[in-house]
Amino acid sequence: MPKYGMVIDQRRCVACMACVVACKKENDVPHGQFRTRVVEEVEGEFPALRMELRSELCNHCDNPPCVYNCPTGASYKRSEDGLVLLKKYRCVGCKSCLAACPYDARYINHEKGFADKCTLCEHRIKEGKSPACVATCVGGSRIFGDLDDPESLVSIVLRENHSHVLLEGAGTKPRIYYIKMYSKPE
Amino acid sequence: MELTISGINAATSPNLHIWDWRVAMYLFLGGLSAGLAVMSSILNVRKGGSLAINERAAFTAQILVPVILSVGMIFIFLDLERKLNVFWLYLSFQPLSPMSWGSWGLLVFYPVSILFAIAAIPVENRHRLLFRQLIELADWLQQYRLHLAAANFTLGIFIGIYTGVLLNSFVARPLWNSAVLPVLFLCSALSAGAALMIMIAGQKNVKLFFTKIDIWLIASEMTLLPLFFYGQYTSSYAHRESIMPFFMFNHQYFWYALAIMLLLIILPAALVIKVLEIKEEHGDTLTPEALFKMNLSAIIVLLGGLIIRFSFVYAGQLSHL
Amino acid sequence: MTAKFSRRTFLKTSGLVSAGIAATSMLPDKFLLWAEEQGMLKADYIPTYCEVCFWKCGAMAKVINGRVVMLEGNPKHPGSRGKLCGRGNGGAGLLYDPNRLKTPMISVGKRGEGKYRKASWDEALNVVAEKLTKIKQQYGSEAVALFTHGTPTDHFLPLLYAYGSQNVGMPSFAQCRGPRDVGLELTFGESVGSPERLDLANSKLIVLLGSHLGENMHNSQVQDFSEAMASGAQLIVVDPRFSIAAGKAHAWLPIRPATDIALLLAWINVIIEEEWYDKEYLDKYATGFTELAAAVKAYTPEWAEKETDIKADKIVETARMMANNAPAVCIHPGRHATWYGDDVQRTRCLGILMALLGTWGREGGVFIATKSSFPKAASKPFPELSVEALNTCGYPLAGAEGLTHVIRSSTISGTPYPIKGWIVSGTNLMKALPNQKETIEAINKLDLLVAIDVMPFDTVMMADVILPECTYLERHDALAIGKGKMLTVSLRQPAVKPMYESKPGWWIAKELANRLGLNEYFPWNTLEDKIKAQCSLCNISYDELKKEGTIVIPGTAAPYITPLNPPEFKTASGKIELFSKELKEKGFDPIPRYTKHPQPQAGEFRLVYGRNAVHTFSRTTNNPELNELFSENEVWLNTKQARSLDIKNGSYVTLVNQDGVKSPPLKVKATERIREDCVYMVHGFGTTSKELKNVFGKGADDQGLVTRYAIDPICGATGMRVNFVRIEKGALHA
Ligand SMILES: Nc1nc2c(c(=O)[nH]1)N[C@H]1C(S)=C(S)[C@@H](COP(=O)(O)OP(=O)(O)OC[C@H]3O[C@@H](n4cnc5c(=O)[nH]c(N)nc54)[C@H](O)[C@@H]3O)O[C@H]1N2
Ligand SMILES: Nc1nc2c(c(=O)[nH]1)N[C@H]1C(S)=C(S)[C@@H](COP(=O)(O)OP(=O)(O)OC[C@H]3O[C@@H](n4cnc5c(=O)[nH]c(N)nc54)[C@H](O)[C@@H]3O)O[C@H]1N2
Ligand code: SF4
Ligand code: SF4
Ligand code: SF4
Ligand code: SF4
Ligand code: SF4
Ligand SMILES: [Mo]
Repeated sequence: MPKYGMVIDQRRCVACMACVVACKKENDVPHGQFRTRVVEEVEGEFPALRMELRSELCNHCDNPPCVYNCPTGASYKRSEDGLVLLKKYRCVGCKSCLAACPYDARYINHEKGFADKCTLCEHRIKEGKSPACVATCVGGSRIFGDLDDPESLVSIVLRENHSHVLLEGAGTKPRIYYIKMYSKPE
Repeated sequence: MELTISGINAATSPNLHIWDWRVAMYLFLGGLSAGLAVMSSILNVRKGGSLAINERAAFTAQILVPVILSVGMIFIFLDLERKLNVFWLYLSFQPLSPMSWGSWGLLVFYPVSILFAIAAIPVENRHRLLFRQLIELADWLQQYRLHLAAANFTLGIFIGIYTGVLLNSFVARPLWNSAVLPVLFLCSALSAGAALMIMIAGQKNVKLFFTKIDIWLIASEMTLLPLFFYGQYTSSYAHRESIMPFFMFNHQYFWYALAIMLLLIILPAALVIKVLEIKEEHGDTLTPEALFKMNLSAIIVLLGGLIIRFSFVYAGQLSHL
Repeated sequence: MTAKFSRRTFLKTSGLVSAGIAATSMLPDKFLLWAEEQGMLKADYIPTYCEVCFWKCGAMAKVINGRVVMLEGNPKHPGSRGKLCGRGNGGAGLLYDPNRLKTPMISVGKRGEGKYRKASWDEALNVVAEKLTKIKQQYGSEAVALFTHGTPTDHFLPLLYAYGSQNVGMPSFAQCRGPRDVGLELTFGESVGSPERLDLANSKLIVLLGSHLGENMHNSQVQDFSEAMASGAQLIVVDPRFSIAAGKAHAWLPIRPATDIALLLAWINVIIEEEWYDKEYLDKYATGFTELAAAVKAYTPEWAEKETDIKADKIVETARMMANNAPAVCIHPGRHATWYGDDVQRTRCLGILMALLGTWGREGGVFIATKSSFPKAASKPFPELSVEALNTCGYPLAGAEGLTHVIRSSTISGTPYPIKGWIVSGTNLMKALPNQKETIEAINKLDLLVAIDVMPFDTVMMADVILPECTYLERHDALAIGKGKMLTVSLRQPAVKPMYESKPGWWIAKELANRLGLNEYFPWNTLEDKIKAQCSLCNISYDELKKEGTIVIPGTAAPYITPLNPPEFKTASGKIELFSKELKEKGFDPIPRYTKHPQPQAGEFRLVYGRNAVHTFSRTTNNPELNELFSENEVWLNTKQARSLDIKNGSYVTLVNQDGVKSPPLKVKATERIREDCVYMVHGFGTTSKELKNVFGKGADDQGLVTRYAIDPICGATGMRVNFVRIEKGALHA
């Protein structure tokens, strides 16, 4: 039973937005709405500046508040691979899941009214492809794979680097890991 | 810090924009009907039901419960983006979803409140009912009056709490994510119920009886509110930040500052008026100005409940983990 | 039909027509994608190469039911390696842009009025052919000039030559790479080419002057850059602005604009004084070291500190970084090099630095192009010129890409001879060339301005005749030959049929040739026939090319200097020329010298500009899929300056340049990310074409404010960062 996830190597990200555009095309996301975004954070005062580039998407949390708060079971965590997905036909558009997600990873499809979000491109995974944003990631910053397989690239990269998850304190157990620092674990 | 974000959704950024007055009204009316249910149960049962004797409110209050609730339900329905899918709420039960509990809870609350209303129809008036079946039903229900009252009471409390838990369950929204919130909402729901009861009730002793109850409720509201803010302030950074809109006193957060100030005036004002009411020596019928004061304080209390719902629904969406 | 109506109403009606034409492929992507997932429809992947910029990445068009639903990189292509940049991913946004040019059009108003009537291809082409013939009779064939950029060049340059003129101007030289290529040719006998032969992926240290990689989004180059960053390479970024690249730098040097040569000379000085240079390499391959050493003596770090506003010890420290990592140091020679008019000399400095560190031909530096190549097909020789082409006039080292602004000024002055016809394909001159007043003045002197384009951009809307080319996803184009590490060939082929009445560039060129009696220069029926012929000549299988999109010729790589693979420098001396005899002979400094440039007065800012990752100049600004992510450019203003001028972040201002030219209202980005003496904006916005519904009235055009330009005396390129602006508060914004 695979445990799909991602590692985002922030050292590699160049804010090229290829992921954002590709995701919209691949999943036909409505105009003005997004499943993934790129955050550009700059701290400090000229000329002592620090920049952090961070691409964000649904964390496919192992402890997903969006699922807990869904009254219809439209949002669910798929048993076989733990992806957090949607049964659109069940969604009443109550928006509880939008309120519940600490990562603002969801939106209400303004054409259809149902909640939607990153599916980790499960339809591509099924075909043995990597997610669209990963496939086109110019910087090679987005790394996809099975977190349970010690031989997978994600596992290797995680072993070799310090990594963290977003809002760890929220207790959502994200499956998207971030590599920020250069140093390796001692 | 300079932030540039490419690919943001208006519904969640820069802050949550998903729920508006419709949800606030739903929470308020839901609470009000719940509170009223509780009060009418009390009216029908306390003092061996003696209060209810030829008191019109014994019936009218209870029949208002499903009515007000329905209006509230219309508002939440208006908020749903996929209205035709509502039935899915009842094709599944999600033990961790307050909204799921709520949907089912309301499904039970409706018939109970209606049945209890029917049972509460004064015997002397039943002959006025149009359908024979209804009369028979009322007579038959007579025997279960106490059970219905109990059920009605419990469900009232449940719904009252639910309107708070609905918001309280979001770890992502620190302003809502406080255990005090459900209790506060319950309290304000009950107090609103009492206030409405006071307005409906015909008899002086009934009015005064519920005035006494409301005094306790308002008093506890007045303890819970500061407790809530204190709790937020002494909690995590995000929780502390979440209450700031109420205390910024700048144009951006004008409405929240206003809400707090109004509450600071309304609740004590209502309390004082009510205390005076019970202290005051009333004749066997209430003077017009006594009546006026009673209704005024009741309206003020209802207003307070409304303000709490609106300000919390909106401010909560400004807060972020 | 002869009834005249304004272009606006025409676009509406033609919109309806086209809806009819394209009806079959008008099923929504939503449905198509779903149907494909359900296995009802099959998706075809059609390999081609991208034209959203000039990197020509191999792409795969995912086509369902005659509609391009997705574009992906072609794994076989070295420029894309299976990935597309944001712009490439959004390519279909151009294909389905409702504001596209749909049919030929003929102007019915005064120039620039934007009044047009629909015309048939036959009529439009006849009009152009007649006018061209008339001009030839009246003024001679040299009176027609071609401005071109991108693949249309492959069709219209031969047409121009066949017609009997060689007056061509490509912005890619005089407004872009010119000085860099000339500077490197003077030093190494050749330039780094495009795609640049930079071994970034293997560098231990990367040095960027300007070159804002990441925002400057050339696919494989940025892939290599990221690769290097992840494998712990060091990075020095010299940029007055805290660019994306600067955000990754170990040393960010926020240099005072226009003083790069001072920094470079100081670096050279330090490396020579400290004897950090690669003796052996220089002895073997370079000449003129002693002259160089003598010439740079005066350029000490302390001296440079005053000029560049970079601390002397920082200059020494960064020089040491280079020495420590040499030769695996990649000093990026830049691409848009037309800055201050002494840009050839700046590139010379870069070249000299590369030579001192011995990075040319070394792993992690600049690798050597494959020596293999494809045979050229013999073609009918073009007619002799009766008069000399304008291309190099006055500027000894200008190249075959011509000088846009020289043609422009000749058009205005009529000297050395009149220019009466402009053919403009694939370039938006109003945005590309400095000083728009001159461009307009020149255009008003013309008997014919014909634009071959896909979108109604600024220059197109001034043309007498508009010929709508179909987009790169709807046509064949010349084979793209790649001479990077390996020899590669890539095919562009239509993913879908041309929409509306648009036609491929090759067809337009051929049809014009027929009408001008020049058919024998286009001796084939379709471009595909020509490509097939080429393939058999180069003995590669056309069918394989059609299927794979790209063919890499194995065993053609020899990227690094080895005893068996010695470098050859095509300079006069056959060596790397630290001291350039050629420049001396032509009356220029054989070794770069530093000359002060004017700096902004109080209250003024130098106007600098650059790229945004999701846009290519102006061409993508109306593309719905890209416009969505960046719909309006801003002016970057240092926060302290903003505070002292009391300008709020996000408020709208007007920029006024030294000649009193005002910008449209422009949003302020108050930021720590830029020096106090300059402001920055993304190039390409502020279009004047009302037909571009997504972007008209959005942002401002840096080019509008670039009324002055400094021409490089050596190669004739136009330095465009020599303009200064004041900021006026409280601009009204609709
Ligand atoms: N996304 C995207 N990428 C592109 C293109 C595009 O249109 N869009 N176009 C492609 C083309 S054709 C070209 S030519 C290249 C151009 O891209 P580059 O060759 O990188 O252009 P530059 O002018 O070198 O870089 C612009 C940077 O130079 C800085 N700068 C300004 N003045 C000075 C100065 O005096 N000294 C120094 N050291 N830095 C300065 C600016 O702050 C800005 O960060 O981009 C290519 N890549
Ligand atoms: N102020 C300022 N000036 C600059 C620059 C700058 O940064 N600032 N950059 C300079 C540089 S580096 C360069 S390379 C030049 C670029 O200058 P240009 O190449 O002129 O760039 P664009 O503004 O994108 O104009 C492209 C035109 O080609 C059209 N086009 C796009 N695709 C096709 C096609 O497939 N077929 C045909 N026929 N037409 C097509 C577009 O619709 C548009 O009208 O600008 C230079 N000028
Ligand atoms: S990131 Fe948000 S949407 Fe995704 S699983 Fe976690 S909580 Fe749910
Ligand atoms: S919006 Fe849809 S998915 Fe989200 S919680 Fe409500 S029903 Fe579930
Ligand atoms: S995994 Fe797929 S859906 Fe999720 S962000 Fe990437 S492309 Fe979008
Ligand atoms: S595609 Fe990769 S490198 Fe580009 S912005 Fe997205 S994550 Fe960053
Ligand atoms: S770099 Fe991007 S835009 Fe340029 S050719 Fe490659 S994919 Fe297309
Ligand atoms: Mo360029």
